[in-house]
Amino acid sequence: MSTDQLTGPDAEPTAPSPARPAGGRPGSRRAPRPHSLRARRAGAFYLFTGPWVLGFLGLTAYPLGYALWLSFTNSDGLSPNARFVGLANYREVFSDPDTLASLARTGLFAAITVPLTIVAGLILALLLNQPIRARGLFRTLLYLPAVVPPVGAALTFKLIFDRDSGSANGLLDLFGVNGLAWLGDPYARYVLIMLTVWGVGNIMIISLAGLQDIPRELLDAARVDGASQWQSLTRIILPLLSPVLFFQLVTQLIMTLQTFVPLLISLDPTPKGVGAVPESNYLIMIDVFSQYFANGRYGYASALLWVLFLFIMLVTFVVFRLSKGAVFYSVDPEQAKPKTRTIGDK
Amino acid sequence: MVLARRKVVYMLLIAALVLFLSPFGWLVITAFKAQSELRAVPIHWWPHHPTLDNFQQALTLFDYLGYARNSLTIAGLYSVLITLASAWAGYGFARLNGPGKKLVFGLMLSTMMTPQIITLIPTYLLFAKADLVNTYIPWVLWGLAGAPYLIFLFRQFFTNMPKELEEAAIIDGCGQIRIFWRIFLPQSWPVIATSLILSFSWSWGDYIAPALLLDDDRTTLSVKIATGYVNEHGTGLYTLIAAGSVMYIVPVLALFLILQRGFITSSATSGLK
Repeated sequence: MSTDQLTGPDAEPTAPSPARPAGGRPGSRRAPRPHSLRARRAGAFYLFTGPWVLGFLGLTAYPLGYALWLSFTNSDGLSPNARFVGLANYREVFSDPDTLASLARTGLFAAITVPLTIVAGLILALLLNQPIRARGLFRTLLYLPAVVPPVGAALTFKLIFDRDSGSANGLLDLFGVNGLAWLGDPYARYVLIMLTVWGVGNIMIISLAGLQDIPRELLDAARVDGASQWQSLTRIILPLLSPVLFFQLVTQLIMTLQTFVPLLISLDPTPKGVGAVPESNYLIMIDVFSQYFANGRYGYASALLWVLFLFIMLVTFVVFRLSKGAVFYSVDPEQAKPKTRTIGDK
Repeated sequence: MVLARRKVVYMLLIAALVLFLSPFGWLVITAFKAQSELRAVPIHWWPHHPTLDNFQQALTLFDYLGYARNSLTIAGLYSVLITLASAWAGYGFARLNGPGKKLVFGLMLSTMMTPQIITLIPTYLLFAKADLVNTYIPWVLWGLAGAPYLIFLFRQFFTNMPKELEEAAIIDGCGQIRIFWRIFLPQSWPVIATSLILSFSWSWGDYIAPALLLDDDRTTLSVKIATGYVNEHGTGLYTLIAAGSVMYIVPVLALFLILQRGFITSSATSGLK
C-alpha cells in the first residue's frame, strides 16, 4: 500500500533513488559497450519522467516537509529566530476547543455532503440512463453548473441568499414567511450544502459513464427471469457500479475536507478576511487560513495543516480497507486484476 | 405502464433542470436590475427597467479587461506548459522503461490523491521566501511539472498506439525526443485538446493561488470580481457583482457548450478508466 509514500517528506529518502540510475549507472552495466541500449533506454525514461519527479519533489514533497518542520517551531513567518517547540503545537491542536470544534464541523459537513452528492449524482445518472428523448440536452444542462468557476458559483449564491435582495427570501415572502439572514449563523451551513450539491454534474457524468458500461444483456436476462426494477438496481446495477461509487467517495472526501468555499460566500472574500466567515461555516481549512494569514501563527497553522493531511491520508486508507469486501470489481476476470491494482495502489 | 414511467422520468428531470438552472436565471435578472430596484419590497422578479448600466460600470469600476488579460495570460501560459509537460511525462510512462519505473509510476498515481489546497499553502510560503510572489513564475513551474491526472490521460493514449510506429522511426535513426515530438505528440491531438481545455478552465477558475501569490494590481479576474465590487463603505454592489459575474462565467459556459463532448468524456474517464 503506497499510502505511506504520500506522507511527503517521508517519501524523500526513497523518491530520489530511482532517479540515480539515470545519470550514475550507465557505465557500470556489464554490457561490452559503455552506452548499452538498456542504459540509453533508462536514460530516456528519466529524461521524460524526470521533470515530473523534480516537480513532485520541489512542489509537493519539499513544501510538505517545510510545513512539517515549521509545525515543530513557533515561527510567525517574519522574525528569523523561530524556536523549536517540539510537539507543543500538536498538543494545542488537540486541546484547543475552537480547533476541535472546526474539525468536528468539517467532519459533519463531509458526513452530510459526500453521501448527498454521490446519491444525487447517482439518481440523476439513473434518470438520464432511461430511454428518453433529448437525453444529451438534459445531460448538458444538468452538467452546466459544474463548469461554473467556484468564485462565480459562490457569488451567484450570495446574490440568491442575500437577506434584502435575494430570491430565496423573495420566495419565502410569497408564503408569508419572514426573510432569513441566510449568509449568517446558523443558516450559512445550508447555503454551503446547497452550493456543493449544485455542482454535482461531475459526479453525475462519472456515474452515467459507469451505468453505460453495464452490459445490456445482464439487465435483459434479469428482466426475463422476472426481476423487478428494484431488484435489478440493488442486485446488478449497484454492485457493478460500486468501483465508480467508491472512487467518488474517496475523491469527494478529500475535496470536502479541504473546502474553502465558505471564504468566498462570506462578506470579505480574501484569505485575510477569514474573520467574516460565519461560525457555522468555519471549517478546518478556514481555521488554517486564519492561523496563517490573520494571526501569523505559522508554526501552529502548519501543525494544523499536517494533522489535516494525515487525517485525509488516514480516511483514504480506511476507506480503501473497508471497500475490500464491498467493492465488486469486474465481471470479466481479465479486467478484474489490473483494475483492482490501480485502486489499491492509490 | 412504460409510458407512465417515462412520464415520471421526464417530470423528475425537468424539475431537476429548473432547480439547477434557476441560479443562472437569478444572476442574469439581477445583472439587468437598476440599483434602485435591487431591494424593492416586495421583490421584483423581473427588472422593471432593464438596464445595461451595470455591465458598463462593472467593466469600468476597475480595469475589468486588464484583469481578464491577467487571467488569460496565466491560464494560457499554464495550460500550454502543463499540456506539453504532461504529454512529455506520459510518453515516458507509456513507451519507455527504466529501473524504478513501477515505483515512479505508483508515486505519480498516488499524488493524484494528494490534497492540493494543503500543499498549496506551504508552497506559497516557499515562493514567498524565494521572492517569486507577484510574478507569474509559480505558474510556469507548476506548468513544467505537469499534472498527474493529465499525465495519466496521455499515458493511456500513448500506450494504445501501435508499436510499429516507433520501431520504424528507430530504424530510421530517430532519437526518442524526435519520436515523441514528430510522431506521438501530433497523433494525440484529442488528448491535447482535452488537456488544454481542462487546465485552462482550472486556471481561469482558480481563486486561492492568485489570491495568495499576486498583488491586487496583478491578480486575476477570479480574485478581482470576488473582492472588487464594493462601495466606499465596503458594502457589496450587488448589481455590479451580478453583471461582472455574468461576463466572467459566460465565456466558460460558451466554451463548454461548444466543446462539451471533450469536457464530458474527459470528466467521465476520470472515473477509474
